[in-house]
This record gives sequence, C-alpha cells and structure tokens, in this order.
Amino acid sequence: MRDSDRLNMEQSSFESTQEFYDQWINMYTATMGKLVEMPAVGPAREKSEKMMKGFSTFINLYAAGMDISSNLQEVFIEAMQKVQEKIGADMDGEISPEKYKEFYDIWIQTYSETFKDFAKSGHFVSDLGKLNAHLMDFQKYNREMLEENYLKPMNLPTKTEIGEINKELYTLKKTVKELTSQIKELKENK
Amino acid sequence: MNGLKFNEDYGKFKQGMELMMKPPEFSVGTTPSQIIYTEDKMKLIHYIPTVAKTHPVPILIVYALVNRYYILDLQPDKSVIKKLLEEGFDVHVIDWGYPSGSDRYLTLDDYVNGYLNNSVEKIKERCGLDKITLLGVCQGGTFSTMYAALHPENVQNLVTLLSPVNFDSDKGILNLWAKGLDVDKIVDYYGIVPGDFLNSAFLLLDPFRLMIDKYVGMFDRIECNPDDAACQLRNEEFIKNFLRMEKWIFDSPDQAGETFRQFMKDCYQKNLLIQNKMMLNGKKINLKNINMPVLNVMAEFDHLVPTDASIPLSDAISSTDKETLVFPTGHIGIFVGSKSQKEVCPKIAAWLRPRSLLNGKAEEKTESAKEEKPESAKEKMNEQRKTTRRARVNKK
Repeated sequence: MRDSDRLNMEQSSFESTQEFYDQWINMYTATMGKLVEMPAVGPAREKSEKMMKGFSTFINLYAAGMDISSNLQEVFIEAMQKVQEKIGADMDGEISPEKYKEFYDIWIQTYSETFKDFAKSGHFVSDLGKLNAHLMDFQKYNREMLEENYLKPMNLPTKTEIGEINKELYTLKKTVKELTSQIKELKENK
Repeated sequence: MNGLKFNEDYGKFKQGMELMMKPPEFSVGTTPSQIIYTEDKMKLIHYIPTVAKTHPVPILIVYALVNRYYILDLQPDKSVIKKLLEEGFDVHVIDWGYPSGSDRYLTLDDYVNGYLNNSVEKIKERCGLDKITLLGVCQGGTFSTMYAALHPENVQNLVTLLSPVNFDSDKGILNLWAKGLDVDKIVDYYGIVPGDFLNSAFLLLDPFRLMIDKYVGMFDRIECNPDDAACQLRNEEFIKNFLRMEKWIFDSPDQAGETFRQFMKDCYQKNLLIQNKMMLNGKKINLKNINMPVLNVMAEFDHLVPTDASIPLSDAISSTDKETLVFPTGHIGIFVGSKSQKEVCPKIAAWLRPRSLLNGKAEEKTESAKEEKPESAKEKMNEQRKTTRRARVNKK
C-alpha cells in the first residue's frame, strides 16, 4: 500500500470515515461497479439487467447521503466550537446546573445560526439536490421492482396502471367541464 | 436565586405536562360560514356577514395549496376573516381541499383558470357584480396575480399578502434550495407530492428552532401558580392556541403533481412570472394587464417569502393606484401575531373600504350608488354582465 493510500488517523474519526468511504467508492467503481454495469446476456437478460441497476442506484444514494452527512458533521463541529467560545466569553467558562438556561440559549442560538448559514451555502444546495434526486431514483427503482416481481405476477394493479386510469379520468373530466360550460353559455344566450 | 429559577422552570414543565396529558378541547376555523359552491375537491366558502350592510364589492381570499386556509381564522380572538367581517366586508375563501391520486394531473391552469375563475364567476353571479376583490395569500397571492393578469375585467382590487412574484432572490432559503431540485424526478416518482415531503423542507429551514426550541418555549410560557384560577385559565388558553398552531403547521395537503412541477420550474427555477414569460394553457401571463388598484402587503422578517420576492410586483404592473405595506413581523405572525388585529387587518380594511364601492371610484358615485336601491343596482349590473357575455359569444 502506498503512503498516500493510508488513512490519516490524526484526523477526526468522521474525516477518516469519509476518507475510507471515498477510497471504498473509488475501488467499487473500478471493480464491482463495472461488473454490475456489464450488459446482461441470456434468456433472463432484461430482468437481470434491471436488477443489477439497483446496485448503482443504491450506491449513488449512499454516496450522496455520505456527502451530506460529512458536511453536516463539519457544521456541527463548527457550531460546537462556537458554543465553547461563547461559553468562555459569556459564562466565564462555567457550565453549572444553575446556568443551564443560559447555556441552552447560547447552544440553540449558535446551532440555529450556524446551520442556517450552512443551509444557504451553494454546497448544501447542491448536496441536497443530489441526495433528493438519488433518493427519487432509488424509490422509483424499488417500486418498479415491486411491480415487476410481485404485483404483476399476482395480477394486482400497479401504480403505473392506476396512474394511466387517473390520467384518462382527468382528461374526461376536463372535457365534460368544457362542454358543460359551452352548453351553459349557449343556453344563456338563446 | 438560580436555584429558585430552576424550581420555577421545573414547575412550568410539570404544569405543562399535566395540561398536555389532559389537553383542552380546541377547534379552528370557527367563524360561521356556508359552502356556496363545490367543484371536485374545491369548496367555495362564504362567511356569514356580521354587519347589517356590507361594503358592496365582496372579497375572495385565495390561499396557498400548501397548508390550509384556516390560518386566517385560527383562533376566535385572532382571526383575519372575523376582523374583515367586523370591518363590514363580505368575505369568501377558497378551500382547495386535499388532492388525492385522481388529482395528480391537475395543472396550474386548472387551478387558476378553472377553480379560481369558477369561484370568481360564482361570487359575481351571487352578488350581481362584474368585479370582485381578490385577496391572495402566499402562493395564493401568486395565483391571484396570475388571475388578475389573465382576467383583469373580473378584478376590482388585488391585494397580495406575502406573495412571491420574483423568485430570483437569494434571501429566501427556499428559493435557493428550489434551484437545486430535480423537480421532474420528484413528480415522476410521487405523482401526488406528499405534504410531509414539503413539511420536512420547511422544518429543515431552521431545525433547531422548529423542532426543539419551539417546544421548550411552550413550557417556558406556562405560568406556574397552581392555586391561581386565572393563571390556570391563561395556561389553558395558551396551550389551546399552541395546539391550534401545531395542527395547522402539520396539516399539509399533498400537492397535485403537474401543478407542483410547473410552479417549481416556471416560478422558482426559471422565474418566468415577473419576466412576463410564463404561460398558462398556451396563454402568456402579462403582468402589465394588471391595471386595477393593487395593495402589496409584506412581512419584514418573512423567512419563506422575503420582501425581495414581493416588492417587484409594483413595478411590473400598469396600475396607477398601487400601495405597498411592510409590517415588522414574520410569515405567520402577520396572521396571528399581536400586530395582525391591531395593524395589519385595519390597514388592509382601510385601503379596501373606499375601493369596495359599486363602480369602485369616486365619492360622488358612491353617493349616487347609495341612493340607488340595492335591487336596481344589482339589476343594472346583471344587465351589463349579460351584454358583455353576449359580446364575447358573438366575438367567438
């Protein structure tokens, strides 16, 4: 193992975790990731290809989750440091049961402000967008698998089919409304 | 001293827990009303007037699709609707209902040119008038603005309350977050976008205050004097109001997918409305078509709709009679805060009163309108309406 590949244990435990995770994801992408993305062959080709896709969908969601957790962890550490500084300044460094309310006020205000600042950052906006998009992909994939492997074989209606009926219903209702309105206008102007 | 404070706080907590274990009964939206029109899940509510003679031009309140309209009538002593009734207005409100799977394909056009337009027509027909006042709240104000631009002939006055029209603001966290969202993926997966999904975003705006401090604050407000009956009553009333607000905050209807898609993409992501580029059912919304009196009301500390998002409306419209009011309060405080009843409602009422007369113009016309018997005025309006409709049909 090269020195650069070694995990830096001098950092906080979360940073090491993040570093370990980054290395793991790189390794996964270069090896297993390629394997699951490989085109499937044989009679169950379509099904196995779809199932294999689930791995990448999950990995993407996991990666986005790790990114956001890692950033949040940094924000919490920053907030904690600010709280310590303020306690030093406002409470003479003393945290006693008698001063719990003062401590609480400092804690809630500092955490709230620090998190709000972070929430406005471009970094968080992008991370949140990614996490949300990958979560939707993952949930959609799970639903498709459920429909494909359980609902359809059991001859039960799927969300996709219900969606089609709803669309049809919507179009019909809209047409009825338009026609009713036209009839009303014609009647009124007779 | 500190020991005493600790005992006092413990007493508050104990008192609060006792109250919460036997929660007082409470209700919301208690101002007497009747439903005068329904369409699918939408209901048009008419509030029973509390004065003998109301101002002639009725008000239609258009609330947002997110959360429920009863924030305007949350508690009997702090009700925007009740206050408007007391000020002599004839008040209506749209209850959008709770969309379900079958509403997944409802579009923004269905809401604005469908439900909203049909409600306006219903009120016009009932009151025998050509125009009514639209009072749009939050997203409902954005809808009302779109409507006023598309149907200016139906709107006597437009009041927008905390309503965003310019979505390109970096002051609102929601505006920033919306830019990074893949809206298509959300709508394609959910179909009907869950209210809880939106609620989690609102909570994430300030999680420490909204998920911890709010509840700590609740206990903090409890007065600790078990032997004082008046104090107990105050505590009970406080808990009731707290629970009312909790109910409202988490009473979040799901969102019709296609409406959510267009609103998020066209407004929050592309900011088309203020640029007069937004389309509804193929028709461009030109804000310059808004030529009626407009009152634009904002809250200085609004964390959801910053003033930046509402101020540009004034320059985007062609109305000459327009006014902007900014109150030193927040997005919710404007409805239920101490200033709501004392300042916000009276100022809106004072602005609307002279503009809510038949023909809505000068004093002398008011006088002649007053002299005219109400029935004959209604007949005249009905006749005018019929003529307009005939002209419209002939044009077709």
